[in-house]
Amino acid sequence: MKLSIPTVAASLLFWSALCSAEPATSVRQFDLKQSPSGDAKAVATVTAGTAVDVMKREGAWVQLKAGSDTGWTKLFDIRMGTGPVAPAAKSSGMSGIAQTLNLASGKRDSSVTTGVRGLDAEMLKKAQPNAQEVTTLAGYASTPDQAQAFAKAGKLTPRTVELLKAAEPPKGAPAK
Amino acid sequence: MSTRSIGRFFLATFALLLPLACATPDTGGPMTGKDLASAVLGGYSIGGINLGAAAGVAKGANEAYRDIPEAEEIEIGRSVSAGLLGAAPLTVNALQQNYVNSIGMWLALQSGRPELPWHFGILEAPTVNAFATPGGNVFVTRGLVERCGSEAELAGVLAHEIAHVVQKHQLADIRKNAKKGMMLDLASLKSGGLGGDAARAFARVGLEGYVRGLSREDELEADRIGVVIAARAGYEPYGLVRVLQTLQSMGQDDSSMAFFLKTHPSPSDRLAALEVVMPPSFEQMTKPNPALARYAPAFNPTRK
Repeated sequence: MKLSIPTVAASLLFWSALCSAEPATSVRQFDLKQSPSGDAKAVATVTAGTAVDVMKREGAWVQLKAGSDTGWTKLFDIRMGTGPVAPAAKSSGMSGIAQTLNLASGKRDSSVTTGVRGLDAEMLKKAQPNAQEVTTLAGYASTPDQAQAFAKAGKLTPRTVELLKAAEPPKGAPAK
Repeated sequence: MSTRSIGRFFLATFALLLPLACATPDTGGPMTGKDLASAVLGGYSIGGINLGAAAGVAKGANEAYRDIPEAEEIEIGRSVSAGLLGAAPLTVNALQQNYVNSIGMWLALQSGRPELPWHFGILEAPTVNAFATPGGNVFVTRGLVERCGSEAELAGVLAHEIAHVVQKHQLADIRKNAKKGMMLDLASLKSGGLGGDAARAFARVGLEGYVRGLSREDELEADRIGVVIAARAGYEPYGLVRVLQTLQSMGQDDSSMAFFLKTHPSPSDRLAALEVVMPPSFEQMTKPNPALARYAPAFNPTRK
């Protein structure tokens, strides 16, 4: 296989981005595994609330550095970022107010600093329709045949997968 | 029971089940009880009696969009797209735009509405967000695409937006917030074009919806269905989970997240809800797929 220089450069950038360590916190006690597999040997036990570094994430697994130990555990065993794990983050259903204040992470929305101007409420409110861009958008569309060929090239094989049921029963009409 | 009456019983049972069988799409796309009821009750009439009407279709937001024909839903979606593209244009990168359309169309083919005219676009905005309009238009900001580390992650985001379209979340929201008379004059929407008064009015209502945000229930439902659409398309199902973790790692103080966090449940809330419902069997669908390394040359992720 011949690799062009831009391809190699892009790959290096891609992998270095993936390999940089990110701070995270364990949300429960778990065993660090030698490899990303349930059958793999445990190398250490990490207790809940431990500060860890995320090395990389693959499928359902995450590679961590906890103290001097490095190993794998499930994605859902950690929360990205540092600080205490707030019980409000459980899916038991936060109230609207809790959501607005973002209690799950222990911080309020109002702490958000302004800096990057992008697509925000103000821009959406004053937007004038752009018909030309709608035509441009349509020009990029993929046909079902093209999508099939794309899937084949990517070795994407359709699977039969059942829908996931909501864990919590609907609580009547959503408050808006 | 005589043989004859048993025969009659089976015939009657078959006649009752037939519409159900027909209503289930070949694609095995997501269909909730709501959609199924709509397809079975709304789409079939027996002996001249419309079953939907006979069943006394329940009132409420869930039912409000029932009688909007697909062609008109598509026109409403075009109007909202024009508005959104007026707020942020498409990025000028045909390679990436085509790539996103390939992923998106492949995912949409596995959804409950494969036949819609699906369009996918990357918006020129550094902030993190994604939008869907009625009728099959899906947008992601450049800021969000840059934080996706793989094709499976980008697919997870697109599948979440496709789920909103399949469940008609935005259409129900527009219906609920449209000014009196707007929904009755859908014919002038097409004749007036995207610059016409009707299109402008729908763009306004649609964009106001993005400012308000959908309900938490709608967002969590789109997460659950999106994960399944991605898995059905052959992607490993944890793409969306990893993107939500990336957004979680960016934290509340990142200004590129401000508007997104105001209009969505927090990433922590969404991750907790997904953890409860994603079955262990999904972990068997995560075999590495080297063919998806094609993502790297098209996108330069700048994950932090």
